[in-house]
Amino acid sequence: MTARPLELELRGITKRYPRVVANDGVSLRVRRGEIHAIVGENGAGKSTLMSILYGLVAPDDGEILVRGESVRFRSAHDAMEAGLGMVHQSFKLFPSMTVAENVVYGHEPRTGWLIDRAAATRATGELASRYGLGVDPSARIEDLRVGVLQRVEILKALYRDARVLILDEPTAVLTPQERDGLFEVLRSLRADGRTIVFITHKLNEVMALSDRVTVLLRGRVVHDVVTVDTSPAELSLAMTGRAIDPSRRRPEHETGATLLEVDDLCVDDADGVRRVDGVRFSVCEGEIVGIAGVTGSGQSELVEAIVGLRASTSGAISLRGRDLAHANVHGRREAGIAYVPEDRHRVGSAGRASTRENLLMGYQWKRRFQRLGWLRRRAVADHAAELIESYDIKVSGPDQRVAELSGGNLQKVVVARELAHDSPLLVAEQPTRGVDVAAIEFIHGQVIAHRDAGRGILLVSAELTEVLALSTRILVMFEGRIVAELDPHRTDEVEIGLYMTGAKEHERAGA
Amino acid sequence: MFDQLFDAALLDSVVRASVPILLAAIGGLICERAGVFQISLEGTMLVGAFTAVSVSYVSGNAYLGVLGAIAGGMATSSLLAVGHVSRKGDPIVIGIAINLLAVGLTGFLLPQFFDLRGVFRDPAIVGLEKYEIPLLADLPVVGNALFDMTLVGYLAFVLVPVVWIMLFRTAVGLRLRGVGENPAAAHTRGVPVTTYQYTAVATSGLLAGLAGAQLALGNVVQFAENMTAGRGWIAVVAVLLGRAHPFGVLAACLLFGFAEGLGFRLQGNGFAVQATDALPWVATLLALVIARRRFIRLVDLTGRMA
Amino acid sequence: MRVPEPSVGARAIRDRLASVGTSPVTMALVLSFLLCAVIILVTGVNPLSAYAEMWRGASSGSGPRTVIDRAVPIIGMALAISIPFRTGIVNLGAEGQMIVGGLAAALTAIHLPGPGAFVIGVSFLAASAAGAAWALLPAIGQTALQLPILISSLLLNAPARALTSYLVKYYFGDPTATSTTTVAVPEATRIPTLGWLSGASATAVPVLALVVAIALFNGRTAPGYQSLVSGINLRFSRYGGVAVARQTIVSMGVGGSIAGMVGAHLVLGQSGRFVDGDLAGSGFAWTGLLVCLIAANRAVPILVAGSFFAALQVGGLAMQRSAGVSWQLAQVLQAIVILTLAMRVVPGMRRRGSSEPTPNLEADVIGQIAPGAADVVKV
Repeated sequence: MTARPLELELRGITKRYPRVVANDGVSLRVRRGEIHAIVGENGAGKSTLMSILYGLVAPDDGEILVRGESVRFRSAHDAMEAGLGMVHQSFKLFPSMTVAENVVYGHEPRTGWLIDRAAATRATGELASRYGLGVDPSARIEDLRVGVLQRVEILKALYRDARVLILDEPTAVLTPQERDGLFEVLRSLRADGRTIVFITHKLNEVMALSDRVTVLLRGRVVHDVVTVDTSPAELSLAMTGRAIDPSRRRPEHETGATLLEVDDLCVDDADGVRRVDGVRFSVCEGEIVGIAGVTGSGQSELVEAIVGLRASTSGAISLRGRDLAHANVHGRREAGIAYVPEDRHRVGSAGRASTRENLLMGYQWKRRFQRLGWLRRRAVADHAAELIESYDIKVSGPDQRVAELSGGNLQKVVVARELAHDSPLLVAEQPTRGVDVAAIEFIHGQVIAHRDAGRGILLVSAELTEVLALSTRILVMFEGRIVAELDPHRTDEVEIGLYMTGAKEHERAGA
Repeated sequence: MFDQLFDAALLDSVVRASVPILLAAIGGLICERAGVFQISLEGTMLVGAFTAVSVSYVSGNAYLGVLGAIAGGMATSSLLAVGHVSRKGDPIVIGIAINLLAVGLTGFLLPQFFDLRGVFRDPAIVGLEKYEIPLLADLPVVGNALFDMTLVGYLAFVLVPVVWIMLFRTAVGLRLRGVGENPAAAHTRGVPVTTYQYTAVATSGLLAGLAGAQLALGNVVQFAENMTAGRGWIAVVAVLLGRAHPFGVLAACLLFGFAEGLGFRLQGNGFAVQATDALPWVATLLALVIARRRFIRLVDLTGRMA
Repeated sequence: MRVPEPSVGARAIRDRLASVGTSPVTMALVLSFLLCAVIILVTGVNPLSAYAEMWRGASSGSGPRTVIDRAVPIIGMALAISIPFRTGIVNLGAEGQMIVGGLAAALTAIHLPGPGAFVIGVSFLAASAAGAAWALLPAIGQTALQLPILISSLLLNAPARALTSYLVKYYFGDPTATSTTTVAVPEATRIPTLGWLSGASATAVPVLALVVAIALFNGRTAPGYQSLVSGINLRFSRYGGVAVARQTIVSMGVGGSIAGMVGAHLVLGQSGRFVDGDLAGSGFAWTGLLVCLIAANRAVPILVAGSFFAALQVGGLAMQRSAGVSWQLAQVLQAIVILTLAMRVVPGMRRRGSSEPTPNLEADVIGQIAPGAADVVKV
């Protein structure tokens, strides 16, 4: 391969924060027309590096060169002007506006003061068809599916004629089929002479798509190699410093009595749209039931209905035979449901409250912590101290506000709290999202131990490797229905993906 | 009695009552679109009224008074701009504090500067003149109400379609809406969020000041302690009811104006003054109840609806 | 609002007192006194002598008694507002709740036969019921109809004034009086004054007890814990099983009943009759709100701040009499204190507990781009 010119180069980029060096002398060379992958675990420094490339954060040391010229980014705007187009993981879109308005926002085609809406629509449409990004320019963002939103993000970057596209964990919200579609788009962009940088921790994607890969570990570049010359095993070793296989399966456990029974459950949302459509399944003691599905398939509403945060429209939910239909959240917790929510910040914790206070919520009426409404503060304090110790939660003290904790630590707080009272049923949504590897290992270990102690677990996760690794049985949801029940031993990501997108639908085993 | 009540004079008083609220509400809706929770319209209007009267009294010119009101309004709103947009303070607390400061400050300066209490009425205060639009002013019923107003009054109604065009047809408006809807996204697209929010707040100060000028130099020609009497709060509700949309807000303001105008009429016709005093407030409350499903994110900003 | 640390022992108290010197509230007070000095100068009066008059007015002669008598309704209203405020609800309708309570007390005292103490007790109950009922209207509006209490409670103030005014004028008025007022309540139903309290009204004692009770409730009980967390992140408390609708209704009801009882105190303890417009024009509701904000919603600081503001206002009146500076300056002072705190000109004031993180744009974008980054960056 002839050496293509350098499109983007980082030399000795260093960024320090009070307690950690996020990037330590990172050097990177990306050639024009190359698809370059940056891999590393959470906490390796990829995110900080991205923030620097995006122009949000200035490095303490080192320089950035775009096409051989040294640049300094004072803002995201500067980075855009330099030809870097960011495709964010969580979308930077305006829900009430149309696709075209979102794409041209900030650089609108105008006649005088007025926006030339026809021109905007036309430009958007042309870009979309040129690169195979099927999307309707006049559709409103709030009406579109998550997978389509990413295309809008890419269009935004292309509208600004980005020569380098930087994608951060682009496949996190995509089904396997949508991911393949994205790869096609990226390949056609490469053919068009553009350069792609993408950040991921999924090694199979790195192997499938990239030309070159750089590995980050603890803020440093530890490996930089042409993709065809390496392997997932080698990359995994470089990423973690040890040979961990997070998809290793756990030893099985016997299942016992039925714990949770969901029968013909239907949930309509506030607008009357049916989100859960006649779902029926059960969770037994000693088993982990994993639910896989594209975001918006009804898993969130299903979980909310089970824990009591959302009213169900019809159908039955019972725990150990006891009908929960009229029990509120408190009642269901009393009955024995613990819940690790998807959003640990907005739902699972109170940032401005202390760690101790956060470790109590949901259980403040347990006899252990109060008598006749009067709090036993000693018991509350002891409980917090125990959990901080056993989960190795890194806090300066039980009074530290959880807003100051890292994502992994906060997730430990949430998991610790929910597992501490031996609730028979644990409902866990995305329990390891945005958490570093060590914490993932730990949390998985806790979940398995919980199962082994005879509890039942309902696991909802977008991380298919996690679902495959932990579940006793896998249920796939699509458009509010359960469309498949699979044996993790006998299925794989591809098959699950097909069910997730509705491409395949068959009778459930034994139904 | 029906045709005694609902006649041209009623329409006239509806329009007159609506104008100050409309001006303030337009400022409020611009702030809401920019993502700033602006509840200090009441205090800003009061400051506007006071400065309008003071400057008019001292200078003998009503339009200098209007300029004074604009300056006073913008100065007042700058407290919100600095405190919330720059310093990230809580807009509800700041808004309430501004309202109370305005009452205290105007109540304090009235005796200090003019050596009297309560109501400041003086022939030296020059009020705003009303201008008739020829031909249109002769129309039956609507003529007197809509086409014989002060310049400020005309401005209020002209602003409604102008702001609509601004918001939904210009680039500036698109960017403003984006700033309010997702400031992080606007920021990454190079749109200066702080600048837009500052401008929005300054505009609301300007308009609320104008509202005060209309109140104190247009509807009547005097300053009375606390003369805004809650109109600024009604403007906040109008923004909520009108979903921060110029025509919706206009409708909400007219509703309140109608309730107030009708109230005065009913008083004249023998209804208890207390009932008619309460009428505009109860009417607004009822409108809120009826339209409750259509609230915009003001609800999120008041924060306690989860 | 600042999350209260569990105060254990003398060391915590000493640390707390030491921090008062440099605390944001102290600095805000200093700043606003300075600013108001400038304002006084502008009007041609010597600020030092004006402040001296303020001090003299509050501390000598009938000062202390007046201060206590003024502090009682201010603290009462602040407490009334603080109860729902702790859970994140802004009740701007305390004035209306106070007014209907005052009328209920007046009517009960006038018409109920029986020994004085008994009638006083029942009057307070009636006032508390009336205030609670008036507060329950917006509460139900929010829980059943999603109407924000911030707005609906405010909108009900004018109807409260109008309703009571109407009832007094047409049904319960004193035909011999020139203004719209009820007849005077019987002497026996007047609240006695306490000699050992400089002759101030006896209501001061139950108010003090209320401060202690609320402080204990907030800090030591499970429902108190729940309301604390609700004010910080309502979704989290719902997730934890808190019955939010019930909490809303109960907190507004209790707040409204306290406001109603303040009205009862003003009628039975101060004026001796329900005069149309008296309670409304008193400004206690707004002062109470300011006190609540400055005291960060905590019961004991409310006691301190309320007393301080009462002294400010009494001193302000004295200052008006002797130095010719309008008493409204006290209002200005109060507002500037809150403004400086809220504008974070003085560092340290927390935002009213919202569930969204501070909208720091850079941090927000970083946090959204890569959730992992927030771990490292910890902005």
